Amino acid sequence: MKSKRVGKPIFFVIFVLILALTYTAFFGIHDYFGDKKQSYIKGAEDIRWGIDISGGVEAVFSPDKEGVEITKDDMASAKAIIETRLVNLNITDYEVYLDNANHQVIVRFPRTAGDDDFDPQAAIKELGASAQLQFFEGDDNSSGNPFMTGEVVDKATGVYEQEHGWVVSLELNSKGAEAFGTATANAYKNGTNISIYMDETNISTASCSNGAITGGSAIIYGNFTQDQAVDLANKINAGSLPFALTVDDSKLQIISPSLGSDALRVMVIAGSIAFGVVCLLMLIRYRVHGFVACIALLGQLAGTIACISGYFPNASSFTLTVPGIAGIILSIGVGVDCNVIAAERIRDEFKKGKTIDGAIDSGFKNSLSAIIDGNVTIVIVSLVLMGAFGTPDSFIAKIFSPLMSLFGSSITGAIYSFGYTLLIGVIFNLIMGVLASKYMLKSISQLKLFRKPALYGGKKNDK
Amino acid sequence: MINSKKVLKFGLIVYAVIIITGILFGVFAGVKLDINFSGGARITYSYTGDIKQADFESTVKNALDKEFTVSKNESLAGNTKTYAINLSGKNALSAETQEKITTALEEKFKDNKIELYDSNSVSSSVAGGFFAKSIVAMVLTAVLVVIYVGIRFKNIGGVSAALTALCALVLDLAITFCACSIFRLQIDSNYMAVVLTILGYSLNDTIVVYDRVRENKKYYPQLSLNENMNRSIKGVLTRNIVTSVTTVVAVITIIVVAEIYGLTTLRTFGIPMAFGLLSGCFSSLFVAGPLWVCYKEKRTA
Repeated sequence: MKSKRVGKPIFFVIFVLILALTYTAFFGIHDYFGDKKQSYIKGAEDIRWGIDISGGVEAVFSPDKEGVEITKDDMASAKAIIETRLVNLNITDYEVYLDNANHQVIVRFPRTAGDDDFDPQAAIKELGASAQLQFFEGDDNSSGNPFMTGEVVDKATGVYEQEHGWVVSLELNSKGAEAFGTATANAYKNGTNISIYMDETNISTASCSNGAITGGSAIIYGNFTQDQAVDLANKINAGSLPFALTVDDSKLQIISPSLGSDALRVMVIAGSIAFGVVCLLMLIRYRVHGFVACIALLGQLAGTIACISGYFPNASSFTLTVPGIAGIILSIGVGVDCNVIAAERIRDEFKKGKTIDGAIDSGFKNSLSAIIDGNVTIVIVSLVLMGAFGTPDSFIAKIFSPLMSLFGSSITGAIYSFGYTLLIGVIFNLIMGVLASKYMLKSISQLKLFRKPALYGGKKNDK
Repeated sequence: MINSKKVLKFGLIVYAVIIITGILFGVFAGVKLDINFSGGARITYSYTGDIKQADFESTVKNALDKEFTVSKNESLAGNTKTYAINLSGKNALSAETQEKITTALEEKFKDNKIELYDSNSVSSSVAGGFFAKSIVAMVLTAVLVVIYVGIRFKNIGGVSAALTALCALVLDLAITFCACSIFRLQIDSNYMAVVLTILGYSLNDTIVVYDRVRENKKYYPQLSLNENMNRSIKGVLTRNIVTSVTTVVAVITIIVVAEIYGLTTLRTFGIPMAFGLLSGCFSSLFVAGPLWVCYKEKRTA
């Protein structure tokens, strides 16, 4: 069986493409207007590092109300809600501690010095807000007596409507449906409005000109942008705190990296040297194939970095922590393995006395099933981890939701971030290690300079 | 011809020795949990001027006969500098010890206006539901892997193959734990990252072996299972060695470079990882494969 030959230029095309991806993924594309930096493409330096690597902010929250009895359960639910909100803010690396004796919630999350996109004070304010959704009859909350609150909302989603733009659609439980039905019937009859408040802010006041709404769904029209609608839906889904939390500003602290103040620099050096060592080993054992493997690994690493730094506009940037880095290391390990499996198979084929083209062809063919099965197994692992430890309303979590909802939302951002980097890494491994490697090797082997089996680990005197 | 039973016996003895050693270390010397997992106490001192973290740590060490970590902090407004001492475990800190530390620090850093800034006793940051959820996630992963491997490796009896792969995985995870216990490393969030990595790596390693068994069964259906396994392990041996050596060398490079620069916190990541990676390679050759052969032979016998 002969497969189609791959032209000589293909190698150079893929090589240049990977180098371009690598350069832009690591260094980004920036412009400077004076000292203001404009990023067109975000590079590795735009990655948000976790507390363990680059330090962060620590805030101590205390309940707003004095004299109210606060139970351990209240504190625990406050903690769970704060964790959900952190993940909704894309902060997957955090530590939340409870001090039950002093009724304090200690929250630590990462902050990179000089990051203008991220305002820790705003984030802290958002974390501490009680996020109480309230529905009032009339034009404002002056009646002081909401006919229903966010508790009756089963699920909120930000959706786009042709007529009104971005809105937040609410699914109500039976109690909510009844209350909402009665209130809207009254409003329709009397020609009055319904007002919806988030804490003290009026987010929507609307009339019920179409009659009572009894179907158990409600929509918040608030001239939202997409981000606002999605944020509000997330906030409602995260639930409301049993009490608002305030932060003692004097205890707002910048904390040094828990791994040590020099952690990031040292890890970059260590990682680069380790990568170099891997490449060297590949080159020594597999020669030409080793060279191709190194390029593929570089491409895989660059692709993974790109998905973390916010290089692609639709993949938002992600907090990278030690578990996240472990995910990258594992995926690079799998990438190495994938190249090793293929290269060893090609050597075996040479031993059987095959020609260069034949050996490369059947080597890749024979190795494919092992690589695919190994990678799919790892994808299964990463999907389960993302589903189990991510936000409850993420796409993957929904697949597992019947099972995982039994355990409440205990979100562990670090594990989620491991699953994410691993998944991305394995996907890039399939693109780079399986596809790009194969085409590069087939193409480079057409060059006269490289038409010696010895260069692929075959015997010297083979033709 | 190598006998699978003998190989398995050898593999299991090696694991038994390491795991028993690990457990003995754990029982007699105690397993150290990080404040993230066990909760504990945290005392913060404010100071003025400059204090080197190493000096601060050594002073605390003289006054305190427990393990602790120190982190250097600064208030967001930039006017207060603090050092926080973290101690893990319940009842981690008595009033007397706290007093003792304060006195020691005040004596040592007379010009730095050392003051007790805050003292908290905190619960673990890892929620109670976390462990339950981890177990469910593990079981779910196991079930899905068994289903996938069961389908893909149908012609060699995939379900039993997947189950033995999981046995090897459990051993690999046990090894990472033993590495922590023997090398007196704290169980912290770095260790969690190791467990996750080995989870993926170990399965991948075992699958490569089974893939070769599947292929050999196709080309040499006349081979007995034991012969097939021998042939398969021989076939993937180079790959296993090259991959393991490469990844372990990479991890060791990371630890060594980190140590040279004084970043000792990466130990809890690198050491259990290196052992887990070696075990992942070893267990697929010496446990998963032979165990599966023994199981199959017993069933057909």
